[in-house]
Amino acid sequence: MRILAIETSCDETGVAVVEDGRRIRANVVASQLVHQDTGGIVPEVAAREHLRAIDALTEQALRDAGRGLKEIDAVAATVGPGLIGCLLVGANYARGLALAAGLPFVGVNHLEGHVYANWLYEVAGGEPPADPPPEPQIPAVVLIVSGAHSDLVLMEGHRRFRPLGRTIDDAAGEAFDKVARLLGLGFPGGPLVERAAKDGDPNAFPLPRAVLADRYDFSFSGLKTAVLRRVRELEAKGPVPVADVAASFQKAITEILAEKTARAAAEHAVETVLLGGGVAANLALRAEIAKRIGHPLRVPPPRLCTDNGAMIGAAAFFVLRHRGTEMPVAVRSDMKLA
Amino acid sequence: MLLALDTSTSWASVALFDGRDVLAEETWQAQRRQGDELFPAIERILVNTRTAFSAVTRVAVATGPGSFTGLRVAIAAGQGIARGSGAALVGVSTLDVLAYPHALSKQRTCPLLPAGRDIYYAAFYQERNRRWLRRSPLMVATLPEICRQIGTHTLFVGEIGPETESTLRDLLGPKALFAPPASRMRRAGYLAELGWKELETRTQVKMSEIEPLYVRQPSIRVSFDQTFAAPPADERALGLPKRS
Ligand SMILES: [Zn+2]
Repeated sequence: MRILAIETSCDETGVAVVEDGRRIRANVVASQLVHQDTGGIVPEVAAREHLRAIDALTEQALRDAGRGLKEIDAVAATVGPGLIGCLLVGANYARGLALAAGLPFVGVNHLEGHVYANWLYEVAGGEPPADPPPEPQIPAVVLIVSGAHSDLVLMEGHRRFRPLGRTIDDAAGEAFDKVARLLGLGFPGGPLVERAAKDGDPNAFPLPRAVLADRYDFSFSGLKTAVLRRVRELEAKGPVPVADVAASFQKAITEILAEKTARAAAEHAVETVLLGGGVAANLALRAEIAKRIGHPLRVPPPRLCTDNGAMIGAAAFFVLRHRGTEMPVAVRSDMKLA
Repeated sequence: MLLALDTSTSWASVALFDGRDVLAEETWQAQRRQGDELFPAIERILVNTRTAFSAVTRVAVATGPGSFTGLRVAIAAGQGIARGSGAALVGVSTLDVLAYPHALSKQRTCPLLPAGRDIYYAAFYQERNRRWLRRSPLMVATLPEICRQIGTHTLFVGEIGPETESTLRDLLGPKALFAPPASRMRRAGYLAELGWKELETRTQVKMSEIEPLYVRQPSIRVSFDQTFAAPPADERALGLPKRS
């Protein structure tokens, strides 16, 4: 089963060709650098860029895969959650392509894409590896963290998800973005804060961790406000020790995420802990979670943590394989995992 | 066979055209649901006309002006179809589609589309030397600003609510003419005719060149200096329906 998959939920235009939900034959991603100037994503600008890029990227993905449309079995696209104007570009392009090529269209929940990114592996030089990595064991606890989402999910089986908790205010990635802006580091904040934190002392400034007792929900706004207040105090005294603030913030936020993830893994009989989303590329977060759990931890390589078409192709395969389960087709900005 | 797709505003329309006749057409008030309702509508007209998708070798999409999000729905769908089957794709201005059915009226015709906050998209069309042409640049302006450009009897078409109609009557008196509501509407059958003609005379442009007409929405200013982004020639004949 070979799937052409399209992702346009936010500011990356991704097109991929994926076989059997696992082997990546092509995975092209155009990141929209335009947003670096504005320090955030402008939905209208993002939607325009998607439309401008999508057809050429599709052509390139098919070329990279060395496959014509005749050798494709289904076309998939993200239908939510995400920016509505952006989702509409990818979903309508993919539906048009599927209809015209006589192929089934598969609507994919973006969050499922982040989960199934853990099933993917690259095909180097055209030949699949003799011993592909084993599939992740399920049931699993999955933490999806990015600029748009912070979700803790129990994956009971393929396409069977039970939401455990989510952010009640900012997404984890947004907190990184805001702190990065505060420290003058730029956008997107995740990798920039991580780099700045390398040379800093994570214990320089104690920061509060909102404890939502007995719940798996997250809150990052208190932490963000505390960082803001601390930076203002430091500014009054002289130059801000950027590395120390970045390291202290990173330690606080990774501890919040790791503590809930580890507790969820301990309280539910699971085989594995899986990560997904752009913030999952953060090495301090991985280390903190690995330290606290007694389970194997799976994290996709960084370029599969951020939004891409391959993860949508992987998720689409499992949608088709588990046909009894619900498949969304209509585009919804606020779609949840079910 | 040509498939025409128009999701420029809250009104959406799709049509199937065989080069001479419109075989099926569906026009509906989609509000903001164009993105979800476009494909079911396409599938319905294919089923109703017993047409296999493989017979569709041409696609025409409305490129605006209109709602940016709405415009992208049909254009993205058209690009996907062209990629999927190799069908030829053409973009046609939404105002051209609105004006075209009135080519034989002999009147100066002004299609109007709401651009938000008392602002309208508009342009003037008129027959001259048996050629039906767009006679003005694209206007993005208030009704008084548009009416200041009008000295002669003008037929208004497009999305004109009761308030807009009475404002135009106040501003222009007997010079303001109105087509019956049903014939003011945008219908993809006309888009199909225009798109077909365009493809007869022009070779396929690059797919990425078919873009929405992203007109800056001024809060108040007239932008008479603003020309149509594409197609470029103001002098381009849009073709007259054959006289019998
Ligand atoms: Zn994402």
